[in-house]
Amino acid sequence: MNAIILSAILGVILMFSGIFVTSKTAIRNIATAGMALLLLVNIAEQGGFHLFNVNTHNMLVFSKFGLLFNSIAFSATLLFFLVSAKDITNVGINAAEYFALIFFISCGIAIVSSFNSLLLLFLGIEIISIPLYILTGSDKRNLKSNEASLKYFLMGSFSTGIMLLGIALVYGAKASFSMEQMHSSINAGRNAWFYAGLLLVLISMLFKVSAAPFHFWTPDVYDGAPTVFTSFMATIVKAGVFIALVRLFDMSFVGSGYDWQLIIAIVTAATLFIGNITAIFQQSVKRMLAYSSIAQAGFMLFGVFSQNDFSREGIILYTLGYSLATIGIFAVLIKMKDYTFEGFNGLARTEPVLAATTTIFLLSLAGIPLTIGFFAKYFMLASAVKSGSHLWLVIFAILCAAISVYYYFRVIQSMYFKTGLAETEPVTPVFRWLLAGMAAAVIILGIFPNLVLQYLYF
Amino acid sequence: MNLFFLQNAVSASSAVNYLPIALQVLCAAGFVALTLGISPFLGPNRKTAEKLETYESGIHSVGNARQPVAIKYFLVAILFVLFDVEVIFFYPYAVNFRELGWNGFLAVLMFVGFFVCGFYYIIKKGALQWED
Amino acid sequence: MSSIPLTHILFVSTALFFIGMYGLFTRRNMITMLMSVELILNSVNINFVAFNKYLYPDKLDGIFFSLFIITIAAAEAAVAIAIIINLYRSHHSIDVEDATEMKY
Repeated sequence: MNAIILSAILGVILMFSGIFVTSKTAIRNIATAGMALLLLVNIAEQGGFHLFNVNTHNMLVFSKFGLLFNSIAFSATLLFFLVSAKDITNVGINAAEYFALIFFISCGIAIVSSFNSLLLLFLGIEIISIPLYILTGSDKRNLKSNEASLKYFLMGSFSTGIMLLGIALVYGAKASFSMEQMHSSINAGRNAWFYAGLLLVLISMLFKVSAAPFHFWTPDVYDGAPTVFTSFMATIVKAGVFIALVRLFDMSFVGSGYDWQLIIAIVTAATLFIGNITAIFQQSVKRMLAYSSIAQAGFMLFGVFSQNDFSREGIILYTLGYSLATIGIFAVLIKMKDYTFEGFNGLARTEPVLAATTTIFLLSLAGIPLTIGFFAKYFMLASAVKSGSHLWLVIFAILCAAISVYYYFRVIQSMYFKTGLAETEPVTPVFRWLLAGMAAAVIILGIFPNLVLQYLYF
Repeated sequence: MNLFFLQNAVSASSAVNYLPIALQVLCAAGFVALTLGISPFLGPNRKTAEKLETYESGIHSVGNARQPVAIKYFLVAILFVLFDVEVIFFYPYAVNFRELGWNGFLAVLMFVGFFVCGFYYIIKKGALQWED
Repeated sequence: MSSIPLTHILFVSTALFFIGMYGLFTRRNMITMLMSVELILNSVNINFVAFNKYLYPDKLDGIFFSLFIITIAAAEAAVAIAIIINLYRSHHSIDVEDATEMKY
């Protein structure tokens, strides 16, 4: 509860700081301090300290898993602010409002990570989506940004409509929005409505996480949005919607006697295949990362697929590893003048620190051992093996991970083994130190993943 | 033909309730068709330039109606829609505000507080200013 | 006079839902597409209210959900209008076929 209320208030504070504070540096500092405060308060709630005592009538249930996820999402956002706050303020004239919208999105993430009622799921998803439409179109002079935001809006509102129809059918079958009522046997005669409704909700959630048959908006939107916000959308927001999906599955599909595992298996396989294959053919690194985020979503779908302790640990690790690495890569990408693969030629000579850290992040995304990406992928695959069915999916995922190595290494190859003069914007020493710290975190967590996972259990 | 459909409607037990509505629709459509069809034959028919104007003996219309208007109209319209629709949350409170007591009042007060924050924000941002 | 059966109302709401979907897929004017989206959302409102009234009249859950949908729809419409105005300023057209900057 702490995080939900505080992030809404912080959003309002930043909105007003856009009016009363003129210095962009001050706005950046307020936003960063606010996010740090949010993280602290959420960690305090993990320890059992509640700032607000609100009776939510069982519409929100705060589990250890949800709170830990909040902490990870907020720390990732804090890192995002630290490395790219300056680029956020450079997108347009309304610097403070961008931060305010990001705080509102954090509020939505805190809601979907602990919803217990379909009403709150819908509200949370919308609180995440609507600010994102604005952030996508925030570069007002850029045609691509405008188009991306239009496309995102049309797709997003369409999938919202589908989700609402699904919730209506579930309500018709079960008389309630509460997740506990999902398994009650009342109105067993209306099970057809129930299953149809759940399927519709599932489809719309797959839309939001850009899983395979519903991924068509992703590359265009990620490509058109200002690069800083692409970084935010592809990591923290995507992980937030995934947590909602996992929670939804945990409490509705599992034990409903419906053969949902096959559906998820097919969606996962298609997502992995399409994401990885199309990523190979991209010429722009930004677009390659958009497709790679589809491919990574395929791995995160394993957390939905298997639903056991392994998968829960896996999705926490995956969120952390994927967010760290992708935020880092995007932070470097923003500094580049040319977003194509050729633009990275010879970066190792001009900016050795940037090249080295990018290499570590890319290795983590590809799942090479000694990085956190390896353990994340390992936990995901292990969970699928443990759940026992559809073993072909695990083999297929390993093959796809092998394919992904190709396009990640293309960037490394052009940084280290091709000659050229990679042009970058001026980079401050603080930025270099932050990137080095993130790379160190990727490696340390890759050797001792229990540093994070222990918080799930006490 | 019409009679046939009506009989069909009577034989279906649940649809029989729609018979009055069908009759009303028929009457309404028939009245419109009748008056429109009969009026040219009843009166004299002299077409002058004055008669053919859109608003006879009214103010002369100027220009095209489909020309662009200032963007500020849209801004004000959007803001109006937002603030207008948010009032919907007062309905549940108005229905049982006695049962909700002081707690409910404080909750609504908080809601109105956020509301006023938004209003203050748009005024400060100059969204309602007409003069540049 | 007996009341209207639930299936009739569900029929209307489903028809509206698919009319909205059809409009979203076939129309190329952005304002019309926005209207189609609103049609979809409002058809679901009818669904909720009908379920509430016919099946579970002792609690008002469904009606409250439709209140939330109405507000969210208004917020979405506001954002959409803003996006459309922005696009109109750059393209001087509100036809989605003209927004082809990303086709390649």
